[in-house]
Amino acid sequence: MKKILSGKLPIGLTTFLILILTASPPARSEETQQKTVLVRAEMCEAIENYKPVNPAVVFSIALGEVYCFTSFDPVVEKTVIFHKWYKRDRLIFTMRLTLSPPKWSSFSRIQIRDADKGPWRVEIWDENGSLFETLRFSMTD
Amino acid sequence: MEQFFYSLTGLRWQDVLDILLNSYILFRLYVLFRGTRVIRALQAVIIFWAAGQAAVSLGLIITNWAMQGVITVAAIIIIVVFRNEISSVLLTKDLKSFLWGIPKYQFKTPVHIIAETVFDLAPRKIGALIILPSKQDIASMVQGGISIEAKLSQELLTSIFWGENPLHDGAVVIQGDRIKSAGEILPLSKRQDLPSSFGTRHRAGLGLSELTDAMVIVVSEERGVVTLFKKDQIHTIRSRSALEKKLREHAGDGPSKKGFQHPSVKITAAAAICLFCITGLWFSFSKGMEAFATHEIPVEFINPNQRMEIVSTSASNVKLVISGAKPLLNTVRPEMIDVKLNLSKAVVGTNTVLISKENIMLPPGVRLRTVTPPELEVSLDTLVVKELPVQPHWTGNLPDGLIMKQARAIPPMVRVTGRGLILNEIHTVYTESLPLDKLTDSGQLETSLVLENPSLSLNTGRKIQVEYQIVRKPG
Repeated sequence: MKKILSGKLPIGLTTFLILILTASPPARSEETQQKTVLVRAEMCEAIENYKPVNPAVVFSIALGEVYCFTSFDPVVEKTVIFHKWYKRDRLIFTMRLTLSPPKWSSFSRIQIRDADKGPWRVEIWDENGSLFETLRFSMTD
Repeated sequence: MEQFFYSLTGLRWQDVLDILLNSYILFRLYVLFRGTRVIRALQAVIIFWAAGQAAVSLGLIITNWAMQGVITVAAIIIIVVFRNEISSVLLTKDLKSFLWGIPKYQFKTPVHIIAETVFDLAPRKIGALIILPSKQDIASMVQGGISIEAKLSQELLTSIFWGENPLHDGAVVIQGDRIKSAGEILPLSKRQDLPSSFGTRHRAGLGLSELTDAMVIVVSEERGVVTLFKKDQIHTIRSRSALEKKLREHAGDGPSKKGFQHPSVKITAAAAICLFCITGLWFSFSKGMEAFATHEIPVEFINPNQRMEIVSTSASNVKLVISGAKPLLNTVRPEMIDVKLNLSKAVVGTNTVLISKENIMLPPGVRLRTVTPPELEVSLDTLVVKELPVQPHWTGNLPDGLIMKQARAIPPMVRVTGRGLILNEIHTVYTESLPLDKLTDSGQLETSLVLENPSLSLNTGRKIQVEYQIVRKPG
């Protein structure tokens, strides 16, 4: 079973949430002990077939947009995560994404312009304020 | 009332000295001129001055103006009219008695000799005119006398008034126990209400007593009556004891006075009144001359935590409006004012510190009116060490068909020392720009770290390695 959720942000960001169910739900006793785990996080040029295309750490502004792809397995319960996009140490925007059990992949996207050149990072946070991972990359000519 | 007490607490030692010095000057003037008509004239001037002050407080402009005019004219009149009294006080006193002593104008006059002589002459109808000067100098009032400068004795005094003596018609001046002069001619009284029995000798005695504080004894040649003149008053003396009593009173040897009439009590009271008057005058002047001044004073921060340092303040100077007596304000310089803000309770970050009167040290007698700004924002910070990740800063473009799949700094973290507030805002240390254009294969390069804030420092060297992985784009 497969679900796709999408939304549009004022700054032109489109978010797709991809739910991929590949396994049956775990037993109740295991569920309470497990944590939601980030298994894959990558910056990429595009998302195709719910997978990141050309993951990299340097992106040309000629691409027009950059994606942050994250995949969680397992997702213990329905929760939210945040993709926080920083240019240098200045927070540019925060994307709130919903995760649902048993596992879930989601991404956020930013449209890039000439003024966006420079070092960037995306921080991936859970709803409790814990940092999963920081992805660092550069936007260049 | 509150202002009065504030004035008391704000008194400087110079103000106390000012009050005491002028009180003493006033007291000395009283001591030197007491008993003379100058004092009475000065009393009138003081009354006019008080009336002028009352007129000012009531807003009576013309009255105040008139009082000031009267006082100005009166001051000139006093100097002109009483020049003799003033000069006698200024010239006849030695420096010690002028500045310090309480002069006793009374001399130890052998009053019994005078009384005995007078009542020896009276029955024999030998006319006599005897002057006993008091505090005022009579030199300018009498003339034509012959200096005697002899010790007083009944025989000598009798012989002077003896009918065959050339000096017998004039007056004898007795000071202390000496006959100073004889044959003195006195100014005559112009009073019209004198008894017909009074002759020229009486008119002369009265004339001098009208102009001075001297006592004059007249023995009538026709009736043998003893008459005593003092301060326009005429007393007929019928006995030797009565004359002695009058003479002793004049000489200051009368029965000891008690209470307020006692000389020492009177002097003490006069001193207290002088002090009171000058104190009142001082406060009147200092209040009346109150002025305002504005000073811009640098703020001094005290007692900061030794581990902290001041990063910024909303202002380094404060503008103070102060008030006080104008002469005092003219002497106040900015260096005499301190504005000290206590930072002992300040914490890291931005602190709002209120500037109150307790923070401002003013010279005595100066009052604080306003402070601008009333509070300051002071930012404090401490030096901390923070471990920060390193991120390569790529520029340019990779050759076509290539992508940089991974890049990592070696070491991935560095320690940075700096102010906590600054480091709180910094989460990454970046390398200098790394051009991509000539990179075709994976590899490693050396570069330097860039700290954008000059107050930060790296605990290790700036040089680091960057390892990167370049791959060809699929398809």
